[in-house]
Amino acid sequence: MRLIRRAVHLLVALMRELSDESAYQRHLAAHGLRHSPEEWRRFCDARLLSRFVRPRCC
Amino acid sequence: MRKFLGRLLWAAVSVAAAYALAGIALNRGEPVNSVWLVVAAACTYLVGFRFYARFIGARVMGLNNDRATPAERLRNGHDYEPTNKWVLFGHHFAAIAGPGPLVGPVLAAQFGYLPGTLWIIIGAVLGGCVQDFVILFASMRRDGKTLGQMAREEIGRLGGLTALLTVMLIMVILLAVIALVFVNALKGSPWGTFTIACTMPIAVFMGIYLRYWRPGKVLEVSLIGFALVVLAILGGQWVAESPSLAPVFTLSGPALAIAVIIYGFFASALPVWLLLAPRDYLSTFVKLGVVFMLAGGILLVRPQLQLPALTRFTDGTGPIFAGTIFPFCFITIACGAISGFHSLISSGTTPKMIAREWHAWGIGYGAMALESFVAIMAMIAACALQPGVYFAVNSPAGVVGVTPEAATATITSWGFPVTAAEMETLAREVGEHTLFFRTGGAPSLALGMAHIFAGSVGRRLLGFWYHFAIMFEALFILTIVDAGTRVGRFMLQDLLGHVWKPLGRTSWMPSVITTSAAIVLAWGYFLYQGVLDPLGGINSLWPLFGIANQLLAAVALCVATTILVKMHGARYMWITCLPLAWLVTVTFTAGFQKIFSPAPRIGFLAQAAELQAAIQAGTAADLSEARALIFNARLDAVVCGIFLVLVTTILADSIRVWYGILTGKREARVLEAPFVLTRLKAEEI
Repeated sequence: MRLIRRAVHLLVALMRELSDESAYQRHLAAHGLRHSPEEWRRFCDARLLSRFVRPRCC
Repeated sequence: MRKFLGRLLWAAVSVAAAYALAGIALNRGEPVNSVWLVVAAACTYLVGFRFYARFIGARVMGLNNDRATPAERLRNGHDYEPTNKWVLFGHHFAAIAGPGPLVGPVLAAQFGYLPGTLWIIIGAVLGGCVQDFVILFASMRRDGKTLGQMAREEIGRLGGLTALLTVMLIMVILLAVIALVFVNALKGSPWGTFTIACTMPIAVFMGIYLRYWRPGKVLEVSLIGFALVVLAILGGQWVAESPSLAPVFTLSGPALAIAVIIYGFFASALPVWLLLAPRDYLSTFVKLGVVFMLAGGILLVRPQLQLPALTRFTDGTGPIFAGTIFPFCFITIACGAISGFHSLISSGTTPKMIAREWHAWGIGYGAMALESFVAIMAMIAACALQPGVYFAVNSPAGVVGVTPEAATATITSWGFPVTAAEMETLAREVGEHTLFFRTGGAPSLALGMAHIFAGSVGRRLLGFWYHFAIMFEALFILTIVDAGTRVGRFMLQDLLGHVWKPLGRTSWMPSVITTSAAIVLAWGYFLYQGVLDPLGGINSLWPLFGIANQLLAAVALCVATTILVKMHGARYMWITCLPLAWLVTVTFTAGFQKIFSPAPRIGFLAQAAELQAAIQAGTAADLSEARALIFNARLDAVVCGIFLVLVTTILADSIRVWYGILTGKREARVLEAPFVLTRLKAEEI
């Protein structure tokens, strides 16, 4: 049961990492900010700008 | 006792790997079950991971968990962040997994299942996994530097510039060839075209939802997006059966190519949050989900391989692409065995997120082994089809004949019986008008996957699963096309900025439009020539892409070897030199044959000469088309030649550096970040 719980926990953590939700939480924590639509947009613009300058794998 | 049991277990895994490999290699005449391939691959990866990769990690790299990684030292909450190793493994795997390992093995199956399977397994264990692991390690020890930066610092300025130019050229060919796979999968298919067309407004809806309605709820909107895509697949069947709507979504190859080119331009110029980002999120989740579904399906259904171990096309007369096993099997399957593009990912985000040095072992070597396993699954999906069906779907009309009757007669004469009626029934079952001449690998892979999925849950849903698989392939091909165009635009702006500064500004609209158009036109040209090619386009473009990708791997291995030579002299340079020597041999042989082979189906120049002779003899059916084909063949020869020159440059530059270090004429300065003791606690990761 513990193993299943751990697997589910890891899966959720992976999905949150892939969806940038974890990165956003880290960003808020690192800068002592609270979530707001404007803050998300600022974070998103910076994050996506750096992501979409790197080549994609084939 | 525990140590003894461990050794016993590894001995059993090694014996299972050897036994399964011998089983698939020596079996002739009887159908082989796919489980043999699964066991051979999985056990070989495990042995390679446990012994070879561990040896490299411990003896060669000197991985040390006490050494703080850049994720800890430079932690900033953005790029640099210590991440759980399993989460980072998934993140890295999602980044390296593309359409390459799915399409390449399907095309190489024309030689039979054996050559491709052996190359995928052995190439990954000794080449691809090693490349990814060493580059990840090198980047991690250099604060997450990119391949280009490492090439410049470790080899020299010339090496760095060559690496940049090689990447840009490869991007153009990559985008053209995967767009061609996309076009060939959707031409004449109203169901597939409608579904994919729907993903665009769905992505825009997701973008607006995420930006204005529910900011930050990416998982929530991805789930909604996936539900809408499934509805689009179901709606596609209704569209395909509608007499008024079906013609609207039934597009020819050239029409689809123009649509993709226009799409690529707008996707590159529009704000990222509106289209690219939501599509990227959706594509990542669908990609991971489908890969694991396919693994589950194969284990559940355990299909028999219908294609033989070796076909008659090992002699180089294959209908899908021309050329003998050596070198063409090894460039057709790139990403499943070794892919240069992975070195860009291994020196990108991942090294900045590794919490402990030894995590690079599982992430660098392990994720590539998993990618290789995806290639094995694609091989199984293709080889599980009836050989006659496989060749009918993948062969171009220019080779087998333009009518279903002519095509089936040709394919049957090769010893792979198939009838036009069988193909018609199959097409009807999957909701298509025809499955003939669907070159590119995507439709036959979708057919194989649909059979596996339908075998798990019932054949009645074959049409849905076929289009689900097509949607999955097309979705992440488009994601690469749009993101790749944008990346190409940035690279071009970076280069042009040195000529005239305003052109380098990524927010200056005239520059954005000009450079977007230039990149789109560059890959769009190759795409269009592929669509018009009477031999299906794949015959010329896929080998070009394979050569380019493997040459990029050669660049990465040059950098890796230079670093190993600086660390240990000649002692361990064989680890990267062995795959490097193989890749250089394969790609230079293939490149040389593609340019100079006297066979018109292989050599670009011979193809141009044959067409020229036809014009002069007055036997060319269409004069302007023949002239265009001559120009294209010569252009392909030039591009291939440029690749070879670029890699010869970086190889010669690297050998100069190795020679200097090994003879003591040059200082072997290892450019790693200094050692800092880790303070990261286990519970923090």
